[in-house]
Amino acid sequence: MDQLSNKGSILEALLFAAEEPLPARDILLLGGDFSNEVEIEETVLALNQSYAETGRAFIIRKVAGGYQLATLPEFAPYVSALVSKTRTQKLSRAGLETLSIIAYRQPVSKPVIEKLRGVESSGVLSTLLERKLVAIVGREVGLGRPLLFGTTLGFLSYFGMQDLSALPRPEEVGPVPTAEAASPLGGAGQPAGAP
Amino acid sequence: MADGSVTHLRPGRLSVKLPVFEGPLDLLLYLVEKNELEIYDIPIAAITHQYLEYLQFMEELNLEIAGEFILMAASLIRLKAQLLLPRPELEREAVDPRSELVEALLEYQKYKRASEFLARQEEEERKLATRQDFSFIERKDEMILEKSVNLFDLVAAFQKILGRLPSEGAAYEIDYTQVSLEERAAVIRRLLEQKTEVAFEELFVDLPVRLIMVVTFLAVLELAKRQEIYILQSSPFGPLRVRTGRRFGAAPMEEGNGPAVE
Repeated sequence: MDQLSNKGSILEALLFAAEEPLPARDILLLGGDFSNEVEIEETVLALNQSYAETGRAFIIRKVAGGYQLATLPEFAPYVSALVSKTRTQKLSRAGLETLSIIAYRQPVSKPVIEKLRGVESSGVLSTLLERKLVAIVGREVGLGRPLLFGTTLGFLSYFGMQDLSALPRPEEVGPVPTAEAASPLGGAGQPAGAP
Repeated sequence: MADGSVTHLRPGRLSVKLPVFEGPLDLLLYLVEKNELEIYDIPIAAITHQYLEYLQFMEELNLEIAGEFILMAASLIRLKAQLLLPRPELEREAVDPRSELVEALLEYQKYKRASEFLARQEEEERKLATRQDFSFIERKDEMILEKSVNLFDLVAAFQKILGRLPSEGAAYEIDYTQVSLEERAAVIRRLLEQKTEVAFEELFVDLPVRLIMVVTFLAVLELAKRQEIYILQSSPFGPLRVRTGRRFGAAPMEEGNGPAVE
């Protein structure tokens, strides 16, 4: 195996220690002599290549706007027993349906969600809020000023997505909000301040 | 097509497997796809018939039928009637009365497909393990990484504590004459004077009576609002802790200010 560069080792240490996906700008702040984000990206690629060549059980992936070490899917049978205690239940169909509406239409109010789904959605919305997959991002300016919901960084990392552009077929589902539009939604699970 | 299904079990009776529909649109879409119908040209009479048949089936199984299903049935019947009635010459060119339904179905179909994508992603994600899966483990240096606690965290934690109470109608009775918010706030202050930081649950252990616990919870909210206490959580879904805040003991509530509960 090639000797990892010093920078590579530092990056590896940071990602090993980080509980949540670590954004490149945080890595720059933490030191390690990286001069810019491109250099970090290159180091990640080099690390991943060396992991693949030496048959490591993990990989560095990009998720929710950051880098994260994750075990490879083929080890699921072994690691799943280890993490199952901490895993939350899978989302219900109602939950997934409501989430996809919020993901594509955000910021979106409950009346709009209910119109699109054709069913009452209070229960499912509060579950999504509790699981911090969505957050209240403001209030609509119209009648009744209903609350507006948007997805969180926790949503991206739960579904292993780098940003909202990872959602499929935007042309079929309507305009996809840009990553910039999603960023003010704050940290994982934290509702952003109302505009 | 609905992939979920429910097994309706009753002792000594038949068990029936039935696709579960999220709502009337889900059911309609299922009927359209099952019959390989063109969504832009739905034969309303036929689909209404099948839709009502399905509702009847649900009724026979004694399944509760949500109001939304009934409402859709009414809309379908009205639509069917509209299509049967001869339309005046002037309105021939007007919009297809079905267009509203078609649009709703198409829109719903999009989100349903997107939700299937999310389901696959969820499945894939569950095959991986990351450090995030273990973030519930408390750290020593947690102060640096405190997350702000929202009302849902608080309510969830409180519900958990209430859930541990013996069920209503337990063997003993307690003569609680009056509990005021201020009294409970004073108890919390005393506790924090001794310890500066306690587990959220600890605030409720002295008197495990539902009413008193509710008042205690209100006192916690009031104290947090006054910044007398801070409520902390080091990881999502992690245990909550309460510690002295910036204005701890600075502004005691006025006597009789809070709602007294008898």
